[in-house]
Amino acid sequence: MWQQIEESLRESMGRVFTKIATLLPGILAFVLVLIIFLVIAWLAAMLVRWVLMAVKFDERTSSGTSTLTEWTPLHTPTILVTRIVFWSFVTIGVLVGVSAFEAASAESGISAYIFAYVPRVIGAAILLFFGTVIGRFLSRSVLISAVNLNLQYARLLATGVRWLVFVLTAAMVLDHLAIGGGIVDLAFGILFGGIVLALALAVGLGSRDLVSRSLEREAHRPVEAPVEEKLHHF
Amino acid sequence: MPKSDLADEMKAEVQQAGPVDLLLGISGSVNVTELQGQAPSLLERAGISGAVIAYPDAGGREALDSDSNASAAGFIPYSLTGSDPATLPWVVSSAAQKAICSLAVDLSAKACVVLHGDLKMLSVERLQTLTQAIREKQCDLVLPIYQSRKFDGLLNHGILAPLARALYGQRVRYPLAQDFGCSARMFHKLSELTGGRERGDGSLLWPATHAAMTSYQVCQAIVDVHHQAQTEGLELSTILMSLVGSVFAEMETYAPYWQRVRNSQPTATYGNAAQQTSDGEPVDAKPLVESFVLGSRNLQEIWSLVLPPVTLLELKKLSRCPPESFRMPDELWVRIIYDFALAYRLRTINRGHLMGALTPLYLGWVASYVQEVVARSPLAAEQRFEQLARAYEEGKSYLVSRWRWPDRFNP
Repeated sequence: MWQQIEESLRESMGRVFTKIATLLPGILAFVLVLIIFLVIAWLAAMLVRWVLMAVKFDERTSSGTSTLTEWTPLHTPTILVTRIVFWSFVTIGVLVGVSAFEAASAESGISAYIFAYVPRVIGAAILLFFGTVIGRFLSRSVLISAVNLNLQYARLLATGVRWLVFVLTAAMVLDHLAIGGGIVDLAFGILFGGIVLALALAVGLGSRDLVSRSLEREAHRPVEAPVEEKLHHF
Repeated sequence: MPKSDLADEMKAEVQQAGPVDLLLGISGSVNVTELQGQAPSLLERAGISGAVIAYPDAGGREALDSDSNASAAGFIPYSLTGSDPATLPWVVSSAAQKAICSLAVDLSAKACVVLHGDLKMLSVERLQTLTQAIREKQCDLVLPIYQSRKFDGLLNHGILAPLARALYGQRVRYPLAQDFGCSARMFHKLSELTGGRERGDGSLLWPATHAAMTSYQVCQAIVDVHHQAQTEGLELSTILMSLVGSVFAEMETYAPYWQRVRNSQPTATYGNAAQQTSDGEPVDAKPLVESFVLGSRNLQEIWSLVLPPVTLLELKKLSRCPPESFRMPDELWVRIIYDFALAYRLRTINRGHLMGALTPLYLGWVASYVQEVVARSPLAAEQRFEQLARAYEEGKSYLVSRWRWPDRFNP
């Protein structure tokens, strides 16, 4: 009996080590290719950055009516292009690495699966980028408008708008990546519905007296003659 | 040379009547019947002959022709671009002023006077003041100095006039005048602007800037007129975006010129200066200070993209001041405007956001000014503006340095 157990353990250990030994060249090939492409990506990004700075790319692109810096002040066009170049090389490196892994380890179907998934990842990255930019832009618009309207809760309003856009973007990205399936849709629906319901309850119940007092005051207010503005800006 | 939309037959008709000595243009919607009734006799009394009156076309030519007074002076309509009711009043006015200058070129007029559509400037004395300065004093551009109270035209006194003075070296009280008179070479110069990017894009006409850049003679005429700006329903940030944004845009265009200008020159002024400024009603500065403090609490993140750390620190200190002792130093206000001008040029943030972020700071300056001059005489308030204008001039080296080397470390 003990002999059979020992034999079985030895066989399974042997199978695992054999599998690792089979995969190891592939993993090493993947890591090596990735490192090479990281170096190439870094060099290419530096070169592009140097060229763009030499041709004053930021100044040329900022002469239009609406520019990227207006939407994302922390990202100049040069930085954006440099990053796109860097991450393009890294993505190519990952794909080449996966192919090398497949070739070295004789595991078929991995690269086909990953290659099919790449367009989704790129789409999700674009969604994430625009979602973040739009979220920040809208948040800033709301903040400035609310401050100029003398609203004390301006920051709260701006944060709310920003997170609303971010949550919407996150749901879209996950949906695009086919992660979570129906759970994401359901969770997003519950979250959004919950926020709207909470706000409705807060206004409806919490501010009921305030609203009724305000309406009564408006109804009984005498008609006032318009007061002449004492201060003229223009 | 851009041409006006004046029909050839109308042009021939006008020129057949004799040389056009003066084109009197009305920049903005006008009561045509009132204009027709007043203008001919008034021009006659003012001793102005050979005048043609241009008014914005509202399909009223037939109505004019039926009246006998129209023969005393020619009336010609011109089409007004940007007369959409949603357009800001000074944008419409600027478009009209440009159109009138083009019309003056087309008619080969010897001088041109542009008046606001409310016709408050249409009187013998005021017309004589404007035209005599052109004819007798050889002025190329005559800008009015309007009657104002202590708390009127604060945007003009706090930003537009002192900034224009510091940049272009011409001491003009109202650089964005609603009325002005100009010589032939001046309206030729102004009409050239209509052909470029300026036309129809909401840009404003700054005649004093162009006169200063071409070294034309600029004069000022004191007039007892106060135009009521139609700003009801407009947000302050929208007004700032239009007016201050326009100055900043001009700064960007004419940077090579204004960087060379060192000091400002006084402008010859005609007319009686007595009782020019009257005392305004006292204004409560507390809501203005509160707006500033609210901005300071919430907009630090945005201000930090535009303003250097020292300015931010000073603003933070200011926001902790009790409202009654709230004072914004001139140097601080000038640096803020110059930094915003630079951010406008560099597009550090969206330009609409930039002007929105400037609004609480402007209200802070207004609060400081109101508290400072509330107990002072109107003359002292005028002197206060002069002091601010000098601060703009003294701070110009900071602007030039930041403009030339925006990436240089600025503590």
